[in-house]
Amino acid sequence: MVAVSGFMSIGLDHAIMPPTPVAVAVGVLLAVALLGPAFDRRSVAIVAAAAAAPDLDLVFALVGPGGPNATLHTAFVPVLATAALYYDTRIRGTSRVADRYGPYGVRVAWVAVAALAVAGVGVDAFSSEGVALLYPLSDRYYAIVGGFLLSTQDGVVQTYVTVADGGVGVSSPGTLDTHAIPSPLAPGGERRFRIVETGEQAVLVATALVALPAKWLVERRDRSTEARC
Amino acid sequence: MPSSVVHAALAAALAVGLLGRFYDRRAIAVVLVVVVIPEADTALGLVMAGAHRTVLHTMALPAVVAPLLYWETTRDGSVLRGRWGARGVRIAWVGLLVHTFAHVALDWTHLEGINLLWPAVDRFFALEGEMYLSTSEGFVQTFVDVGRDPETGRSVIDAGQGGTRAETHVSNPAQPDPEPEPDPGPVDRRFPIAVRGWQLHVLLTGAFAVLARRLQSDRLDP
Repeated sequence: MVAVSGFMSIGLDHAIMPPTPVAVAVGVLLAVALLGPAFDRRSVAIVAAAAAAPDLDLVFALVGPGGPNATLHTAFVPVLATAALYYDTRIRGTSRVADRYGPYGVRVAWVAVAALAVAGVGVDAFSSEGVALLYPLSDRYYAIVGGFLLSTQDGVVQTYVTVADGGVGVSSPGTLDTHAIPSPLAPGGERRFRIVETGEQAVLVATALVALPAKWLVERRDRSTEARC
Repeated sequence: MPSSVVHAALAAALAVGLLGRFYDRRAIAVVLVVVVIPEADTALGLVMAGAHRTVLHTMALPAVVAPLLYWETTRDGSVLRGRWGARGVRIAWVGLLVHTFAHVALDWTHLEGINLLWPAVDRFFALEGEMYLSTSEGFVQTFVDVGRDPETGRSVIDAGQGGTRAETHVSNPAQPDPEPEPDPGPVDRRFPIAVRGWQLHVLLTGAFAVLARRLQSDRLDP
């Protein structure tokens, strides 16, 4: 086995649980990319809220069953939201969302569901703390961490997903009982509300903060051009 | 360097929204070419020591190009606007934005970082730290540490600065770091596609944005 030089060593994630502002930043990037003609202050706020919503399970964990990164970070939340929206807008004769909010509402609802899945659940699923993807069916946390590279000696190396014994697996940091996720709401002395915890997260947040006014300028210009045509 | 695939994915996610009414396959192809251009300084590294992460990985470039681009596209007789119209101007601005954020800023956080202000200042900087609100300490950020040297009493600023161009070699597939111990085997060149969870997430998010945009209409027709 050839020694792996530093920057290409894989699977060395620190214990990282991306803070809520990072999920919001990814949600804002999706809003900028996908809202298009529905882009305005209200729709961006709705999509950003959808990206942050799963982190509310920190609050629920204090009062009921479940736990942080479990109760609302389960795949069932985005899957049920997608199914409900699909039923309402495509299968039912008259769509409640379209009747009430028009095509604007339908577009915003779809982008919000995307933000819920990709930003709200996704950002945490790809971190070492992981999410309980199948809660409440299973208490196990899953973390999609690893590396994917091409090597002149080893060919394609991929460690995000392991295929063994006829099954497909990702790494798991434990179950609800064994894997404690630090919460700023937990009783104790000092409380921390984390904003960003790595340089990359800082860059993602900065990128979202720049993309937002840039998209505002783009939409203002594009819409005034269309109005003239 | 996070791989070119990661840079391209973040650039694509940005370009989908910011190209606006000029979004099409050709426009996004131009943006994707622009975002990988800085890796050309890797080739320069073969002849100029420390050129990688220096010559094109510098914030001095966008700082100079942005005002120039503004001046060129707003004056009478603008070459860019005359030749390619509003579409060319839009692609140029999106290209500059993805160059700055999806490439140079992202590399700033990785390994020895980038030669931030080269050629004005020849010094590598790596963006590392965290930021939080604490009930006992208030707002805390550790990206730029301002401290005091205990011996001289002078204030010291630590913004993650490292060596100069001549002293710093950032490992890359074209010029990998030498193996820590003499190894009888051949040199292993590794071309990362994604490393760590967040890079794979950025990659999938970029792909998702492009695919989702294809399903959307340009207007909000009922």
